[in-house]
Amino acid sequence: MTWLGKLIAGPMLWALIFSLVYALHGWACAGQPGPEGLPPLSQSMLIGVWVLGLLAFIPLLRLTRPGAARHDRLPRLATWTGLVATAFTLFPVVIITSC
Amino acid sequence: MTDATIDPEAAERAAPLTISRTPPRRALALHRELTRVWRNDRGLWGQITAVNHTTLGLRFMGTALVFFAIGGILSMLIRAQLATHQGAFLDTELYNQIFTMHGSIMMFLFAIPMLEGLGIWLLPKLLGTRDMAFPRLTALGYWCYLFGGLIMLTALLFGVAPHDGWFMYTPLSDATHSPGINADVWLLGVTFVEISAIAAAVEITVTILRQRAPGMRLTEMPLFAWYMLGTSVMMLVGFPPLIAGSVLLELERAFGWPFFDPTRGGDPLLWQHLFWLFGHPEVYIIFLPAAGAMSMIIPVMCRTTILGYGAIVAAILALVFLSFGLWVHHMFTVGIPHMALAFFSAASVLVAVPTAVQVFAWIGTMWKGHPQFHLPMYHILGFFLTFVMGGLTGVMLAIVPFNWQAHDTAFVTAHLHYVLIGGFVFPMMAAATYWLPLITGKRRVKGLGEAAFWVILLGFHGTFFIMHLTGLLGMPRRVDVYPDNPEWVWLNLTSSIFSFVLTIGFAMFVLDLILQVTLGKRESRDPWRAPTLDWAMPIPSPSYNFASLPIPQHLGKPARDIMLALARGEGALAGAPRGRRELLVTSVGDARPHHVALLPGNTALPLWLSASIGVFVLMMLASQYLLAGLSLMPVAVLIWIWARGMAPAGVLGEVEASPGVHLPVHHRSAQSLGRSGLTAFLVADGTLFASLMFGVAFLSVVTSGVAPPVATAQSLHSAIGLAAIGVALVLAARCAQTNTPRAVAIGLGSNLLSLLVLIWLAITQMDDPTIHARDALRAALAGYAGLHVLVAACMAAFVLDQFRREEITPQTQGAFGAWRMWQRFTSVVVLISVLVLAAQAGLS
Amino acid sequence: MTRPALILIAALTLAACDGPLSTLHPSGPIATEIAWLWWAMLVGSVFITVFVLVLLVLAFGKPRQVQARFWTHGLGLWFSMAILSSVLGAGLWVGERILPRDDGAVTVQAHAFQWGWEFTHTGADAQEERTFDVLHIPAGQPVDVLITSEDVIHSFWVPQLAGKMDAIPGRTNRTRIEADAPGIYEGLCAEFCGTGHARMRFSVQAHEDWPPDLSDQGATSQEGQP
Repeated sequence: MTWLGKLIAGPMLWALIFSLVYALHGWACAGQPGPEGLPPLSQSMLIGVWVLGLLAFIPLLRLTRPGAARHDRLPRLATWTGLVATAFTLFPVVIITSC
Repeated sequence: MTDATIDPEAAERAAPLTISRTPPRRALALHRELTRVWRNDRGLWGQITAVNHTTLGLRFMGTALVFFAIGGILSMLIRAQLATHQGAFLDTELYNQIFTMHGSIMMFLFAIPMLEGLGIWLLPKLLGTRDMAFPRLTALGYWCYLFGGLIMLTALLFGVAPHDGWFMYTPLSDATHSPGINADVWLLGVTFVEISAIAAAVEITVTILRQRAPGMRLTEMPLFAWYMLGTSVMMLVGFPPLIAGSVLLELERAFGWPFFDPTRGGDPLLWQHLFWLFGHPEVYIIFLPAAGAMSMIIPVMCRTTILGYGAIVAAILALVFLSFGLWVHHMFTVGIPHMALAFFSAASVLVAVPTAVQVFAWIGTMWKGHPQFHLPMYHILGFFLTFVMGGLTGVMLAIVPFNWQAHDTAFVTAHLHYVLIGGFVFPMMAAATYWLPLITGKRRVKGLGEAAFWVILLGFHGTFFIMHLTGLLGMPRRVDVYPDNPEWVWLNLTSSIFSFVLTIGFAMFVLDLILQVTLGKRESRDPWRAPTLDWAMPIPSPSYNFASLPIPQHLGKPARDIMLALARGEGALAGAPRGRRELLVTSVGDARPHHVALLPGNTALPLWLSASIGVFVLMMLASQYLLAGLSLMPVAVLIWIWARGMAPAGVLGEVEASPGVHLPVHHRSAQSLGRSGLTAFLVADGTLFASLMFGVAFLSVVTSGVAPPVATAQSLHSAIGLAAIGVALVLAARCAQTNTPRAVAIGLGSNLLSLLVLIWLAITQMDDPTIHARDALRAALAGYAGLHVLVAACMAAFVLDQFRREEITPQTQGAFGAWRMWQRFTSVVVLISVLVLAAQAGLS
Repeated sequence: MTRPALILIAALTLAACDGPLSTLHPSGPIATEIAWLWWAMLVGSVFITVFVLVLLVLAFGKPRQVQARFWTHGLGLWFSMAILSSVLGAGLWVGERILPRDDGAVTVQAHAFQWGWEFTHTGADAQEERTFDVLHIPAGQPVDVLITSEDVIHSFWVPQLAGKMDAIPGRTNRTRIEADAPGIYEGLCAEFCGTGHARMRFSVQAHEDWPPDLSDQGATSQEGQP
């Protein structure tokens, strides 16, 4: 993978997981205009995708090793950015149940 | 990838780049030699044929300033109207046109062109090169911007300007609720202007990645370049959804294709999604270049280096990505489930973190250094005060329940002005006062600039601070009168009075610029003692920027220490000994010299091309659809002539860039700038396709409207037709592997065949696209595919023509590489479309 | 700049809190929760603004030895993350509490058109009662409003009772409002909807008894007829 590739891999992964969870959520909630909650099965599916997404950062963290030089540090920082963003923006799948 | 793999980049990094110095020559002789080659033609005609980045960058910024003044005058009319509750003088229709045009002008005709202009003007100077990657494209962008802007202004003069608000929510903007051409002016005019945004994005990306001075690694380039790289990539991905949305809405208005009509299977929310998919990143597209200017100016004003370079680059990266995950916070009240709102609320809150990282890095830089009170510093402090408050109200608006109260009220108006004026206008004023000596070669007239700053600061906060309260007291946006609410009167009156103060401040700022240009004394070179290449040149900057291009030993030094060496030709590619515009192209990561690009000279072709696109736009506006179709013929012919201008000609031997460094010219290089540019363009094109696909998915999953009628398109005939198209395009993509006339001819044939089949399908099999949104989207996809196949066919024909002219040889590829990339892209997107259609048919 | 501004805003809100469309003068539990959220965020924002300004003022002086990580990670990352997480948490918590739920609340309908509102509630004898530009609700209990639109996008907003919700053609949106006491509350269309946008007002009348006896109010229900 080129250096630029490593640099954007983490944020790209966030974008992918974020779009996927949003799309699945839209699909699960489609046709439910009422105040009913999300079916438990759909919710577990969303949580599953989120957790798998978080796990997907492990190989990426292994790929972008920490280093002293800016050249090595930046991809590492970017990967952490993606990981934190995935954790932070999608944690509502665990605490919110409404559709 | 395992740890055992040898990283080729690491190996490359291990060997430092060394380029030896060229023996010095007389600076004046070099200057004359270069000026002859790089200068614009004389007179007014010379302005028309100019393609030089300094000329065009300044012209972009100058024109944007004029539009800023016009938008400002419109805002004064708005404030005058709102000063009293009965609304003194505008009728509602005119008022609606004025606030719509105020927003549209400030966004599309001021902010975006201003930042494009800054990037185009500054980047080559900062990176140590002589021009942008595609000078003719710069000029094309400028003319499209100018003509599009003029179309919108003319509409305003004739009282038929857009009147549906700058985000053009449909159904209000559809043909039923907005008859007349008002909405078409917006859709067509803005799309016309966006050609310049895409053009600028493509060439800014390529210039930053491929034209840095040899040895200037990505990780060491000035932060402004990182910011502009982020901006341009965001523009490549952010603008296509808007273009897709505008094209679909115009199709709905012109031909009744119901993409957004809920009674025929469409959905008004699709427009909102497409618009805000562009609209939110847009805010960061505007902010990033301004922040880039701050990152350049603050260290110089504080006599130090920037603190936390790595953290800032990571913050830019985070902003670039996160800002695509916030668009729904403009749609918190449309009835989206709370969980989805929570995702976007969290993302909107999170995006404040990289912003905070930058703000604290800048303040830390000030602590580290010794801040000095020059004029740019005033505007920087104005930025901090205003932008921090705007950022905090932004966080408030990201909180869903509060947003439900504050959305669409004056609170949002106040917030967005704090962010845009704080985050863009103040930094731009800092940038103007910082770089003006390089533009004019003159020194500032003391006093007026400082006074202008204080008046602007007072006027701004006086206008917008209490507007937060006006909003919290319930005043909605976009009302022209409020007879029943006396409690809003004094708030509005105060805002109106201070808005006039603000305007006086801006007038003083412009007067200060004029005084500097006319009365300023001659400034010496490098007045700020800056460490960057933009100041390592004479002032005002010459047309060619550098008499010789900086080499590794010139980098990272104060501008004044290397200025003389560069002027005397000690760097690379000294002078213009071959009488043509040459610059050095380097590799993406480590900026190793790769080849020499020969740039086109002055030409009026960009003007003719944008004028012929303008004719098309005007015909569409006049509902002359047949003539509009015909007017695309000159566009096609001019593009062909344009491409002919890129054909290899003249001496194509190797060039000695520096002693012992022999480089091929770009015609003989597979990794040319053109190739990088096409890659960047295809990213934008791919996003456009993805936006259409998003439309298909959204309408089939989320929209629970009218069920579509049974499609006749789902017949055996169409299946066979689609399969034939698929096979033909796979064949065409395979042909594009082999650089022989025979393969290219077969490729041309396959493209033509699939085009014919597509036309046959459209005529005989396709359902009427006016009946249901599903069929309208299918027709739009067919149009997208057809256009791409047609272009692929034209490119194959162009390559064949190049074989006939014997321009393609084993060393020179001609346009073959471009065709190959386009053909692969086309084949892939058309195949995806076919598969999606099949899946949709199978599901229903 | 900030201290005078603070005093100013305090004086202003005392004077002007009770406007008929003021979100700062809530008249029901939902609007009250949101108003509290606002006051808390305002206090936090004032502190942060002052903090940043103090840092800026202190920057003007002799060059100092600084720790880059303190600024970028300490303040930029951790400080902001701590504040933002708590704000987000509070927002989501309030959001969940004020959402419409499946609890048998009274349901009324609001149908928007260019330019007015047609409201429907279930009156005595399970009769559908239609009114124009006046919405009748019971006081002291949550009411769900089902919002639809005839033509373009409008938005249903009664600032003293709850946040706004758009009326979108082809969709039915649900929002919850609640008034503490009987009375009349002002409402308006919050989404720009054409030349009649500014006049597209309505009011909400909260009643002690439900369903209300509208026979003596015949004039009210006729008033807004288009």
